[in-house]
Amino acid sequence: MTLCSDEEMAQLLAAMQASMPDELGLADRLIEAYPDDARLHFLRGSMLAGSGRPIEAHAALSRAVALAPDFALARFQLGFFELTSGEASRALATWEPLDTLPSDHYLAHFVRGLRHLIQDHFGEAIRELTEGIAVNEENPPLNRDMRLIIDECSRLAGDGAPAKPADDEASATSFLLDQIERGTTH
Amino acid sequence: MKQRRGGTSSGLDLLLMPPRVEASLWRRFRFEREFRCREQIFTRYRSLARALARRQLRTRPRNGIELNDMEQFAYEGLLVAIDRFDPLRGIPFGAFARRRIIGSIADGAARMNESDAQYSYRRRIETERLRSIAAETGPADPLGALADLAAGLAIGLMLEGTGLVEPEDGIDRRPNAYESLAWRQLNAQLAREIERLPEREAAIIRQHYENGVSFSQIAQLLGLSKGRVSQLHAQALAKLRTRIGYR
Repeated sequence: MTLCSDEEMAQLLAAMQASMPDELGLADRLIEAYPDDARLHFLRGSMLAGSGRPIEAHAALSRAVALAPDFALARFQLGFFELTSGEASRALATWEPLDTLPSDHYLAHFVRGLRHLIQDHFGEAIRELTEGIAVNEENPPLNRDMRLIIDECSRLAGDGAPAKPADDEASATSFLLDQIERGTTH
Repeated sequence: MKQRRGGTSSGLDLLLMPPRVEASLWRRFRFEREFRCREQIFTRYRSLARALARRQLRTRPRNGIELNDMEQFAYEGLLVAIDRFDPLRGIPFGAFARRRIIGSIADGAARMNESDAQYSYRRRIETERLRSIAAETGPADPLGALADLAAGLAIGLMLEGTGLVEPEDGIDRRPNAYESLAWRQLNAQLAREIERLPEREAAIIRQHYENGVSFSQIAQLLGLSKGRVSQLHAQALAKLRTRIGYR
């Protein structure tokens, strides 16, 4: 399996950060050259999700996870994508292998928090998500997303006005970029 | 069967992103061969079809065509649109379907002559139901068969007339506070029993009685023969009848 070079990866990340019009074309070209590089499929998935192409985004994220089953971040994002698509049981199945992460890993906290949330256990959800945020120093944008969820949760638990779902695709994308740059693809 | 009203009401609802939910249905229907998603897409856009049917009825010359007929044409158009839509082209399905639904209504209305209009949707659907239930009753005991038939039709009327299955227009057609407690309890029990039916039977009851989708369209929707839908309809009514102690 050949992975794309650091230089090419940096080029793609720069294109994404600058929201260059041809970022997707660049990702496609790199995937053609390195079809087995899970990181490329993951980034392409985030681009597609951010540009309103959810069917292809799901396929790309699924491909990333299929190529690298231990790519925890991709797995988390795929499950989160499924959850936000209304496929809760599928998300739970996608996340199951993440149970092998150390229990104090921020993704482990987030997964537990979201599991509580879909069972309407708002108190536990808020606690886990908050703990995840506290230990997550790698991905500040993800913390922001989780904080939004906590806010909505608190409102719901407090029987407040219905809130808008957290649908900030750009935020998810920036999170992916941040993570890739740090090379945390275990 | 009742949908929760009044916005976000659960943890999962809070997370849902509507465009992703819609895309998920198309993905599972088209690429993962999960055919029940077809019915879910149909249900999602049924109110669009009905609204267009209502609007077309107002704008067209009256020639005996009733709203129910218009709705059947609209549903036909919606089914065709579902089968022809390419979810990867980036066009919203609503816009794609709208043209096809209006076209289907126009074609249907033009096809339908005066005598067809006399034999309106209402009568066709009553005949379908009667055939469905009658086919399930045995000839050995004519009086018993008649009683079964009457009970089956009564259940059908209850389902249709009481708003057990909540219409998409949100109008609550359940009996008001002045109507009898027993009637309301019976309705509530019936609603619970519909939820306990096997998936396909529940879908048939829902689609048929909630919005008057014909058996042939339900057949198309669920990928079954019309005869099989008719049979499942009769089975579902028989179960409901037994479970609410209506025999």
